[in-house]
Amino acid sequence: MRKNFAFVLIGLLLAGLALAQSPGNNVPSVIMAPIGKVQVRAGASTDVSLDFRIGSEFHINSHTPKSELLIPTVLKLQAPDQVTVADVKYPAGQDVSFPFSPDEKLSVYSGDFSIDTVLKAPANAAAGTYPVKGELRFQACDHSACYPPKSIPVQFQVSVGKK
Amino acid sequence: VKRNALVFVALFVAILAMLASGKYLDRTRKHGPLRLVGNVQGLQAPDFQLPSLDGSKVKLSDFRGKAVLLNFWATWCPPCKVEMPWFADLQRQYGKDGLVILGVAMDDSKPDSIQQFASEMGVNYQILLGTDKVSDDYGDVDSLPTTFYIGRDGTIVDKMVGLLDRKDIEDAVKKTLNTTNRSIASPQQSQAAAEVKSPVKDAAQ
Repeated sequence: MRKNFAFVLIGLLLAGLALAQSPGNNVPSVIMAPIGKVQVRAGASTDVSLDFRIGSEFHINSHTPKSELLIPTVLKLQAPDQVTVADVKYPAGQDVSFPFSPDEKLSVYSGDFSIDTVLKAPANAAAGTYPVKGELRFQACDHSACYPPKSIPVQFQVSVGKK
Repeated sequence: VKRNALVFVALFVAILAMLASGKYLDRTRKHGPLRLVGNVQGLQAPDFQLPSLDGSKVKLSDFRGKAVLLNFWATWCPPCKVEMPWFADLQRQYGKDGLVILGVAMDDSKPDSIQQFASEMGVNYQILLGTDKVSDDYGDVDSLPTTFYIGRDGTIVDKMVGLLDRKDIEDAVKKTLNTTNRSIASPQQSQAAAEVKSPVKDAAQ
């Protein structure tokens, strides 16, 4: 009983904190799932899938929106000398029409989506663990409003092994 | 158990109060007291001077005595597109009554692209190039569209966030047009106000 009560109070506290952080504002959120150990041998390549989750009320433009004016989702990665980003594959967007424009279909991501990348280690890459850093830039909307473009950091470690 | 519960509730309220006051203090420190926070109805609209697409500088306070619809929008905002033809209609319909519509583009696009977009949307009102400062002054305008309805005396009559029905927009326009400019009330307006008040005065006597 006492334990349940504590959970309820902690829940209330967290809800209160969340409300205090965003008074009256919906803040679009995109978060990246943690990545497990990425390993690649010198001279070889490996596939790395980056998984993202969009807040339930929101959608973001796909990498290929249907208008030049719309801001595409773009992943930018900066790899160290020992690793190169050989390819980035974006998922196809879903064509959806929204209440604000029922006659127009927009190419968007919503819910969960993954961007597949290919990392390559040159044959002469020195063995070791290296950080890959970057950002995902996106522009979100909900059913009646849109929010300025935003970027979230993307970071993971790559272990390069001997050939 | 009751004691623990009281402690938890007190802690909860204290943390909320600290967060709220910290956030308020941070905002007022950074932006001064003129920045709009919370319920803005009845507050003085922060003045600004922004470049318009035709190269001129536009100052909000130059429109004192007019009813101003101040619309924050962007070319990358599909819901904003829906409102623009409505605003053009309202400008045509109520311009003679003193309605001035100002569109503030919160875009990184070049003015030429914004101009082209506005023309395609049939915009017949002034488009200004927004800045972060103006956005901050109006309470961090981060949801687009956001529209402020500013009365003839420069106070905010209403604020609408997100796309609403055309009827809601037109109702807010009518409400804004019905305001008076207290600071420079014309003799006719003063006379009209006196005439409205007099029956009450008479009844009291």
